[in-house]
Amino acid sequence: MNLTLAIPARDDAEGLVRLLDRAARLGCASHAVVVDDGSAEPLDADRLTAAAGMAPGHLILLRNETSCGVGAARNQALALVETDHLLFLDADDLPARELADLLADLDGQDFDFCLFQHHDSRAGTERRWGQMPWDQRFWHAAGVETGALSPVPPAAAAQLVQTANYPWNKVYRTAFLRENGIGCTGIEVHEDVELHWMSFLRARGILASDRVCAVHFVAPGGGRLTNRTGPERLEVFGPLAHIADEIAGTEDSPFALPFYRFALGLCAWIAANLRPEFHDELAARAARFAAGMPAPVRDALRGSDPGLLDRFPPAP
Amino acid sequence: MTDSIVSREKNGHDRALAALRQGSGKGEITSSTEIAPGIALHVDPQAGASGSWISPAGRLLEIAVSAPPEGRWTALHVGLDAADLAGRDWLGLIARSAAPGEVMVRPCLRSGHEGGFSDCFFPRHLLSTAEPMTHADALHLPSTPEIPGVAPWRELVLFLPHGDVTWHLHDLRLVLA
Repeated sequence: MNLTLAIPARDDAEGLVRLLDRAARLGCASHAVVVDDGSAEPLDADRLTAAAGMAPGHLILLRNETSCGVGAARNQALALVETDHLLFLDADDLPARELADLLADLDGQDFDFCLFQHHDSRAGTERRWGQMPWDQRFWHAAGVETGALSPVPPAAAAQLVQTANYPWNKVYRTAFLRENGIGCTGIEVHEDVELHWMSFLRARGILASDRVCAVHFVAPGGGRLTNRTGPERLEVFGPLAHIADEIAGTEDSPFALPFYRFALGLCAWIAANLRPEFHDELAARAARFAAGMPAPVRDALRGSDPGLLDRFPPAP
Repeated sequence: MTDSIVSREKNGHDRALAALRQGSGKGEITSSTEIAPGIALHVDPQAGASGSWISPAGRLLEIAVSAPPEGRWTALHVGLDAADLAGRDWLGLIARSAAPGEVMVRPCLRSGHEGGFSDCFFPRHLLSTAEPMTHADALHLPSTPEIPGVAPWRELVLFLPHGDVTWHLHDLRLVLA
């Protein structure tokens, strides 16, 4: 299977070289598209090609002189992919050893995307290998917690969609993304929510693998996107509205309840990670968003997660 | 001196395990299922069995057996090149496995003799859970006289629970020292 690694990068040349070197050692990718999203010191194509160990022309480096944001950078990378399949990776993450085995299993399979498990560095502090329990429970509920390659029926997809909305835990069929116009949102944070949900909503063939194929490093503090606390977080209501519209187009969508549970849970997470001066606006926008929730979903959510609706009551 | 007796690709079962690890075989399960030369799943034929097995890339086996609970045994047999254990100290077993529901496996060294065989179980059960787990255990041969020093044939037998069972054996190594 020919696979392209699609990687946005900004001011992390060392991480990117480490990633490409690991991928080369695993022999898991034939091509790479790197989008240098406004690094202060431009990335060096020769150094990256050497690290990736790829044939000439198999690594494409695109540079944005001014940062466009990680979501836009991922979309730029997607537009340049020439292979049938791709994997988004971030420069500070690493492909893991079982990725090559997963690709061998996927060769010849008919699928839109394959979701795989990952190792979270926080699990490593407990000497565990794998995901955090709050992610793992959705795999358990979906019935695909174990197994190198499992088909994901619709009911299971409605469980699995609730895992962390990472862009780098799926091997995608390139044409699936393009034909459905699926990509990241051009916003600074939460840019991957739309990619994740629209993939589940539009896919006709989903596979899941218990293989740990990527290592994700979580670092408290610092300048990572996860640690942003400003008004850019309020932009999340754009993609949430798009997804809500998509779900509304399907009568009795099994994704409706998981989506609104996720969305309000995300709003609660944002509230806990947002500077106080933006809390009122968050509450107002979350309440407007919640007001659009279909009544049956609201009733179901009130039964399953009673505290969640109370976090964002409608304005008086 | 330490030897792997199943991971070197010198003989039939080494090659079979290596092929399972690298390949993508699959098949149906009956009461006697040859998975690869020297590797077989046997279920009590009086009870009968059905199901399927698959060998994912980089892993050994995923087994889904459906059998009546009154069956007397379900076991994976791996033939070993370990006829002569005289003068050896340790037979070690290393495995990594998982299962959707908890599965308790009892590993045993089976030694053939004229007219039959004798079994010596490893000290510990092998527990498989949804979270893949590594299992390591060893038989201390000088203090285990029930293991004959020389036997015409030997095999590792991994006894699975009776009845329906799904078990994923990601890797298996045996080490002789």
